[in-house]
Amino acid sequence: MRIRKKSLFYLLAILSSLIAAGVTSIDTYISIKYKINPWTLCLAIFIAGMIITLLLCIFLSIPIGKKAIGTRIDPSFYRIRLLRKEELPYHILAGIGNAVATIAYFFIISIYKDPSATISFFQVVILYLLLTESIAEKNAPTLAEVESSVIVTFGAIMASFSLQGEINFLGLLIVFAILNPAWVLFSIYQRRLKLMKINGRHNDAINIRFWNLLFTTLFTSLLVYFIDAKRFFEVAVVMKYWQIFFLSMGVTFFSYILYIRALGLGKASVTQAVKSSTIIFSIPFSILLSKFVHISLYESPQQLVIKTMGIILVVMGVISFALTEVKAYIFMKASTGYSIDELMRKIWKIKGITSVATVAGKYDIIAKARIRTLGKGYERIIRELEGIKGIERFEWQSILKEWEEV
Amino acid sequence: MIKAYILILTYVGNLKAVLEEMRKLSNIESIAVVAGDYDIIVKASVNSLEELMELTDKIHAIKGVKRTNTQVIEKEIET
Repeated sequence: MRIRKKSLFYLLAILSSLIAAGVTSIDTYISIKYKINPWTLCLAIFIAGMIITLLLCIFLSIPIGKKAIGTRIDPSFYRIRLLRKEELPYHILAGIGNAVATIAYFFIISIYKDPSATISFFQVVILYLLLTESIAEKNAPTLAEVESSVIVTFGAIMASFSLQGEINFLGLLIVFAILNPAWVLFSIYQRRLKLMKINGRHNDAINIRFWNLLFTTLFTSLLVYFIDAKRFFEVAVVMKYWQIFFLSMGVTFFSYILYIRALGLGKASVTQAVKSSTIIFSIPFSILLSKFVHISLYESPQQLVIKTMGIILVVMGVISFALTEVKAYIFMKASTGYSIDELMRKIWKIKGITSVATVAGKYDIIAKARIRTLGKGYERIIRELEGIKGIERFEWQSILKEWEEV
Repeated sequence: MIKAYILILTYVGNLKAVLEEMRKLSNIESIAVVAGDYDIIVKASVNSLEELMELTDKIHAIKGVKRTNTQVIEKEIET
């Protein structure tokens, strides 16, 4: 299918948020209705998730015609397969990240009566991801990205903040020092797994989700066992509610497939920022949920005002992400006497360059750039290119619209 | 696998129609409308030079295409 990559990215991230909002409502229903200890619930949900995910993966591996059913949700999918050696370290790190983030989340839930104020600071993870990308990745964030990320982060905090919730130093310390860094580990390594090529094609989200859940369940089991062994063994008892756990984790599966696919198309920070729209989608689900269990949609008129302002900021931030992107092709002619291979490596080092190719024809090198503004294109790319000896001349072709095979 | 950039120049007023026809072709990784010396940049991915020739032939046959310039990729680094 040839469509605009940017449209697909936002479609996947927003659909994932919509499904995640539905899952949040199911989880809220479970915790209110069944009153299960948070540690037991956490482990029981993962174990149920493992079973339903395996069943879904087997179902999605069934071929219809020449292709498996799963290709309809991820075209890179072939069938459920064993883990590759090169994937193992990434899966272990992503699994540890997911398990630690989950444990930190449930720890906060288990010690506070109303942890919503503390948990809302999880949204700062967008800024953590932005910082990690600027240190560890070639594509450093631009000012426009930093601005949009801050808008979304603050908006998301405001939209999920509770004026009556408990907030204290220990809770914030857990969020800032454990929950958020663990989630960064999880997101970054899931993205790397998605970008990895297996048998010449991009890794698929379905296998990534299955193996990640397996490692996460394993690490979570170990952590819960050491934290509270009694709760660990209670899992067998609460598994009587397996139908609702299957429903929650079955729906979560699809949310994650779309999220992992979006991670393969865009930056982890931008994907996370767009995913903050879960807060907006949770409103209709909360209204629906209030028909079944007792939950208040808002605490006070003041909180409603803050919530509305936060939602507006999230929407504005996401729109600003989508609108501030410039892509261009740069055609270059090299001077004689310079190694093309060396030139390629120098061009590749420039921040914002997403591909560089040596070609046979009128030009010698064709590079592709992705920046947030044209001004950055000049500062970051043209000035750098001018400094490379061996580039005789270059032509800048700004991309106005693009369709890509996905 | 052979990859190539096909740089396309169109006659004024034909861009939209050319793009519509172009989007129907196979063996194409991406199609970009650009502002510069060219109008459209296509990245093609084919199994042989014969297939590349067939693709450029199909592009030439589209009404509104003025000129094409094919740059075969020898080596590529991408994210």
